[in-house]
Amino acid sequence: MIDEATIITQLKDKSQREKAFSTLVHEYQEALYWQIRRLVLTHDDADDVLQNTFIKAWMALDDFRAEAKISTWLFRIAINESLSFLEKKKHNTDIISGTDGFLSNQLLADPYFDGDETQALLQEAIARLPDKQKAVFNLKYYQEMKYEDMSQVLGTSIGALKASYHHAVRKIIDFFQLDD
Amino acid sequence: MNEEKMIMDRFGNGNPFRIPENYFNEFPQRIMKRIERRRRRRRIIQWSIAAMLTGCVLGTSFLTDSIGEQSTPFEADNSQYIEDALDYSMINNMEIATYLTEAD
Repeated sequence: MIDEATIITQLKDKSQREKAFSTLVHEYQEALYWQIRRLVLTHDDADDVLQNTFIKAWMALDDFRAEAKISTWLFRIAINESLSFLEKKKHNTDIISGTDGFLSNQLLADPYFDGDETQALLQEAIARLPDKQKAVFNLKYYQEMKYEDMSQVLGTSIGALKASYHHAVRKIIDFFQLDD
Repeated sequence: MNEEKMIMDRFGNGNPFRIPENYFNEFPQRIMKRIERRRRRRRIIQWSIAAMLTGCVLGTSFLTDSIGEQSTPFEADNSQYIEDALDYSMINNMEIATYLTEAD
């Protein structure tokens, strides 16, 4: 675990910035990667978005005011980058509005997907959620993030987050018709 | 029944995704190299702008001098001004070639 105050001081000092940033990359790469991967699904896309996240963070270092924790700031960039990526991809392909099972079949053919058909279908159900609900669902369901922390990352009120999560869960139940 | 629990009971919340071997060992080096490339490119762009501005200043100065000395024979060595401008810009041919061939 890195010392937040020390790393912020080093990041502000241009002679130590590169070394401090490298420490940040080592510390947060995994957590950010998995957050991104659950949103964009494939490894290649997650790798692109993770690189863009760190490049954006590097370019914005002068603007970082330390009002939020570094991890919160990085998660916010990562989620925004992931959602922008998905938005761009939506314009180029029509996966989400495509036929049922298209995305899950793609995942099952992916060498970096280890789940079974049920797991692939769950990922498809999550991918069909609106972007904000998708992010909220992943943060709560997989990362078990508290609403207070999520509120900092997504810049949304706790009440709105709870409502988003509830809607996301309901849609997944409906997708699988679990309550029939 | 709690709806979240229905999903959890059916699917769990394990991670079905995998990554290539050594991905997290190699990623920091890749990203730091990319940052270094960006910094180098930015520096070259700044130098190029400085070189252009220097060229404009010297060119203007040259033209002003020429107009002022129209009655006298032209003696200034034009190539000397160009060489000076390149010296002030602090860019050598290798740096320009690196910038032009470098992919991000």
